[in-house]
Amino acid sequence: MSILDQRKLIESIHPFELLSPITLDNLMKKIDIAYYPKETLLVSKNLPSVAFYIIIKGSVKEIIDGEIYTLFNAGDSFDADALIYERANGDFIVEEDLICYEIKKEDFIDLMQDKNVKGFFLKDFVERHQHLKNYSSQSELTPFLISRVCDIFLHNACIVDEKESIKSALKKQKKLKTNVIIVKYRDDFGIVTDTDLRERVLLGGIDIEDEIHKIATHNLITIDKNDFLFNALLLMTQKGIKRVVVKEDEKIVGVLEQLDLLSYFANHSHLIAVQIDKAQKLDDLKALGGDFKNLIVSLRTKGVKVRYITKLLSSLNEKIYKKLFDMCVDESLQKDCALILMGSEGREEQTIKSDQDNALIIRDGVDEELFREPMMELNRQLLELGFPKCGGDVMVSNEFWRRSVASYKLLIDKWTYDMSDESVQNLSIFLDSKCVAGDDSLLKELRAHLHNNFYARDDVLAHIAKAILNFDTPLSIFSGFVIEKEHNNRLDLKKGGIFALVHGVRTLSLKHAIDATNTIERIKELNNMGVIDKTFATELIESFDTLSSIRLKAMLEAKNIEESNYINPKNLEKIDRDLLKDSFKIINKFKKFMSFHFHLNMVV
Amino acid sequence: MFDFISKFKSDKNRKKLKDKNFEFLFQEDRSGEFVVIDTETTGLNPKEDEILSIGAVKIKDNKILTSQTFEVFLKNSKEINSNSIKIHRIRPFDLKDAKTTKEGIVEFLNFVGSRPLVGYYLEFDVSMINKYTKEMLGITLPNKMIEVSEIYFDKTISLIPQGNIDLRFDTILKKCGIPNMGAHNAVNDAIMTAMIYLKLTKEK
Repeated sequence: MSILDQRKLIESIHPFELLSPITLDNLMKKIDIAYYPKETLLVSKNLPSVAFYIIIKGSVKEIIDGEIYTLFNAGDSFDADALIYERANGDFIVEEDLICYEIKKEDFIDLMQDKNVKGFFLKDFVERHQHLKNYSSQSELTPFLISRVCDIFLHNACIVDEKESIKSALKKQKKLKTNVIIVKYRDDFGIVTDTDLRERVLLGGIDIEDEIHKIATHNLITIDKNDFLFNALLLMTQKGIKRVVVKEDEKIVGVLEQLDLLSYFANHSHLIAVQIDKAQKLDDLKALGGDFKNLIVSLRTKGVKVRYITKLLSSLNEKIYKKLFDMCVDESLQKDCALILMGSEGREEQTIKSDQDNALIIRDGVDEELFREPMMELNRQLLELGFPKCGGDVMVSNEFWRRSVASYKLLIDKWTYDMSDESVQNLSIFLDSKCVAGDDSLLKELRAHLHNNFYARDDVLAHIAKAILNFDTPLSIFSGFVIEKEHNNRLDLKKGGIFALVHGVRTLSLKHAIDATNTIERIKELNNMGVIDKTFATELIESFDTLSSIRLKAMLEAKNIEESNYINPKNLEKIDRDLLKDSFKIINKFKKFMSFHFHLNMVV
Repeated sequence: MFDFISKFKSDKNRKKLKDKNFEFLFQEDRSGEFVVIDTETTGLNPKEDEILSIGAVKIKDNKILTSQTFEVFLKNSKEINSNSIKIHRIRPFDLKDAKTTKEGIVEFLNFVGSRPLVGYYLEFDVSMINKYTKEMLGITLPNKMIEVSEIYFDKTISLIPQGNIDLRFDTILKKCGIPNMGAHNAVNDAIMTAMIYLKLTKEK
């Protein structure tokens, strides 16, 4: 550990690598090593911080309001805030004999002259989080995440007036060499594709001298020029279209073709979607199974945020459900029921195939028996496609989850009054419902009923919310994280963090009658309604993203479903570990918020 | 009685001092600091072998003042033995910027002053240095000496009264939970020894 080795160590700690060699040289001449025995109080409200500490060995805990807020280990440093703002939020106490570098306060403040370093330490949580994430993604290739619609080749847009004749429009189209014609109405746009020409002119018998608006389709699907390409891909997959019109400030600037987009990404997500649509029989769908995992892996290595990956997968999964529904349910019956997905599928958050949680709502007055056989068949096919069986038997094959609207309403009433664990659990699953096939209005009716039932019922809501306190956040003694010996020194991401966040947000959404089921969208809605402020909302979203992302990685590596929620923090990279720690801190903050909001300490 | 003998010895040593400029070595130390030293030598025989480099670092209270480390390479009369190169990794090439022994020792004495010395098998390092000071100034190092392996022994023997205590440097490092941070050189070893010293004396 000569001066050179020390220098290397300091350099390996972000953001010190940003310092110029000269600044670093000067810094090295000012660093001392200190030893503090266990239990030493380093900084507290009454004991102002005198130095910036970088841990060589040992650990230090920060305690706020009697609870361990965070734990610092070898390679970690603390506490810039205490030095810059001359106040500490908590007590810093040595947990395990500490050997650390010390940069004296004056020297540290001098260091702040460096713009990069200053920037890093002065930013608040969210920004720092983003900063760290950017830093981490620099090491991977992320063209996927950053490329925007304007980065890719756009076709010219052929825009014609609605009064123009079909013939002259076609001439104009030929001149501009475009695939589609965009029709301009007084205050809106429509589109004419080759299919429209074939079906309405050639087969439908409309004369080519007629005005073009007669064959145009309204509701142009557009995307902003500065939006991410990824969102364009998502849009195409969801709507099943081959092109989107690109706008800039309400002006049409071009057309983005699916083919160009796909060649840009060279992955198969849309191809999978097309294949699902084209599938005639179960075997066609089965053949696609392997592509899913490859898609996740390739998207992830390209640095795509997990929330986009899960959304994409959800829309693909929905397509499969819809396809199977079409295959199993007779067309005459399709309008009289609604197939709903619940749980993580309903929230559009499942990644690797998770348990199926589905149900069927049947229109009042229609014979429920008619649906028995088709639903059994649907369930059989899902199992065959590799959608795992639900442990709690929440599936359309179970009579309990196949009932009429009226019967569901009674069930909801029962859930509201009877506060058994089972009721709360079923209610939680049902709250995340999303309709994938059939008549969506049936689900809407039930949702309205649900919201009416829970209006101003804070007592019941508190009872539901209480579940978030069932599991402790795994942040404390060992290496900063509480790990489970019986699980190979790992921690449970789902119990430890994701559950509390998802369930808490779900309960808040129920209270405020929010229809969205996706956790991130719910958080945004809650923010719009003023329930939580902007900073907190962003913190929650970032934490959720971090936890999901680490979990996704674990899932890809896990051998079976039970294992997939467990991770060993020691195997994470330092940056991920820091992000995870920060996320757990936010989870703790959220739990406190919920306890206060629903007065959980008074609920038995 | 013991004090008397050591004072007597010290006085005797002081009388031999040839250069009045080094009187400071005998003054009472008021800095409150300790100096941890380590040397790299051509071999283990103080009579024949020579010092290649000296590393030292100060300790004050619970801090190792790495901001004020001392390191010097000394020129030697003999070729460096190829066996010892393997241990200390100091090649003849590394000594091309080395100081003459006289310059190096003077710098070292100025750094150390009359502060107590701390080391691992300090006796060896001191007797190596004494060889030079005797020749140059007529004296041996008068500083108080603190042996870390002795402190370690005293602390450990109370735990395992009849046991054999392994006093190897690496073992002590490990038992004290101190990170072994790579390269074997004088400053490096001095810093690690300083960590052992702090751990052994400041631990509650």
